[in-house]
Amino acid sequence: MTNSLDSTPKTARAVDGSGPARRRSIAPAARYLIPLVLGVAAILLADALGRSIANQGTELLLLALLALSWNVIGGYGGLFSLGHQVFVGVGGYALIVILSYTDLPLPVVLIAAALLSAVTGMVLGYPMLRLRGPYFAIGTLGVALAVLAWMLNWPFTKASQSYPLPMSDSLGFTELFQLTIVIAVLALVAITALVSSPLGLRLVALRDDEHGAASLGVRRVRTLLPVWAVSGFLAGLVGALFALQQGSLTPASAFSIQFVLDAIVVCVIGGVGTLYGPLLGAVVVFALRQYTADFGEWAMLIEALVVILVVRLAPEGLWGILSRTIRAVRRGRQAGIAPQKEGRS
Amino acid sequence: MQLVIDGLLTGGLYAATALGLSLVFGTLRMVNLAHGELLMVGAYLTSVLVVALGADPLILAIPAAIVLGALAYPLQRYVLTPIMARNADAPVTATFGVSVAVQSVLLLLFTSNPRSLPAPYATASFEVLGVTVRVALLIATAIGVVLVIGLHLLLTRTPFGNRVRAAAGDAVAAGLVGIDVNRTFAMVFAIAAAAAAIGGSLIAVTYSVSPSGGTSWLVIAFTVVVIGGLGSIRGTLAGALILGVVQTVGVAVVGAQYRDIIVFGLLVVILLIRPRGLFTKAQRV
Repeated sequence: MTNSLDSTPKTARAVDGSGPARRRSIAPAARYLIPLVLGVAAILLADALGRSIANQGTELLLLALLALSWNVIGGYGGLFSLGHQVFVGVGGYALIVILSYTDLPLPVVLIAAALLSAVTGMVLGYPMLRLRGPYFAIGTLGVALAVLAWMLNWPFTKASQSYPLPMSDSLGFTELFQLTIVIAVLALVAITALVSSPLGLRLVALRDDEHGAASLGVRRVRTLLPVWAVSGFLAGLVGALFALQQGSLTPASAFSIQFVLDAIVVCVIGGVGTLYGPLLGAVVVFALRQYTADFGEWAMLIEALVVILVVRLAPEGLWGILSRTIRAVRRGRQAGIAPQKEGRS
Repeated sequence: MQLVIDGLLTGGLYAATALGLSLVFGTLRMVNLAHGELLMVGAYLTSVLVVALGADPLILAIPAAIVLGALAYPLQRYVLTPIMARNADAPVTATFGVSVAVQSVLLLLFTSNPRSLPAPYATASFEVLGVTVRVALLIATAIGVVLVIGLHLLLTRTPFGNRVRAAAGDAVAAGLVGIDVNRTFAMVFAIAAAAAAIGGSLIAVTYSVSPSGGTSWLVIAFTVVVIGGLGSIRGTLAGALILGVVQTVGVAVVGAQYRDIIVFGLLVVILLIRPRGLFTKAQRV
């Protein structure tokens, strides 16, 4: 009797402890390795794919990248940005302008364009990040509309006219797809590292309990600013790649509010504030758009209704539902074993 | 002088368009990102009625307001209030979804072409003491002022207003003394939508509306609310008049192509100096 009484809590502890402990030992390596392996495989495969599939692949990855970028600040930071199209536009225009005036190699220009977008973000973010909740949302929307109005009138970037990419710098569909894969993999690895870093933990603490975090010495703007810059860097890359894909930009195309709409829709459907939710969401939304390509407004309406449903019924999104189901199945299996043991003793 | 009059009249229109946002923000503590779309839907509803019945658009704006209010009531009651109860930030995402959904419905029904409401007074103007006054804007201002006063009286002088203010101040305590908070919130949202329908119809009479046009009106309305102060209906009128004058004078100084930059720039500057609004007293965070 005493034996069985002793053993029950021990097994319970062992069962409870094994799950997280095992995940802690295996998961970190896998989290970095799996995207790298998949990325290399995709790059090798890309050569064999046709031009149109490669182009669609680029579009899918750009959607995923944009969502990853938004998710860093909107999901982990809890700041609902409606101004990410500014990053996209600055990144895109920076790439085209730099390529038009210099002969720098493309990778350097890509990084320069993304850096410029990040710096723009920091300049705008320094005041914006003081705002909270809906104030931040509408503040960033106001900035985005003001920047769009400015770009429509700025002679340096040909105002509202189309600004073409120099012909010599254009990439083939396959090359662009491969470049996008490289960037997407690096971005995912970087975000994985960011989320589990001290900065990422401070960010989440700030989101979940600002006063609690502040009492532990977490400074709001100092924490948010670098994260905002990372988000801007990624969205700037999206813009630069978008410019390479499109071949020319107008303020209406590069600073379109559609970018931030897409990012939010993808993140909410996939799972806001989860690592892989934006990727899952991008695949789902992209697939939906393929099926409803002939009637764009219907796709938008369906997406918006799904967003409302998700917020109302399943705020953790598809990824949240998926991982909860997996966890429940796993726990169910463990629970199925545990009573047997008890029964035997 | 001409500029100030123009500005004040534009401000009157802004007051009418910002009222719904102000009411919802002030009492439900929720920023309705779909407010711009409520304005647009109101204008399109009126436009449909004008085509069907052929009467004056500003008379038909009244049934349009009732219809929009009736549509908005269940939205708040069964979608937004349950979301609000769970997480203070979630309604932002939800109303964002509503905004995109409404935009795509408008696109499906009415295409992306801008449309305005025809009225005999839409482009008319008259002159007083050397100042040109646009009749449509004067009417818009008059309606805006009437709406502000009416709403203010409704909130401060009626039993319904008492319930609204009680629920806004402390929803739990209000529930304990027998107020149906859910129904009160839904009613507030419906009234805000009705006001937005009238505001949107005024936009369509004076300028024009399009399915995607709501976004910049949302920012204008939010700017007005921020200047006027959270939850103050009279402040909304003051904020609208200030914004109208600043914008009109600003356009005269730097040129019409920077019209939008002035509004959004003003919003950003005010948020920087006083993130909680210009006239608000120091508040709990």
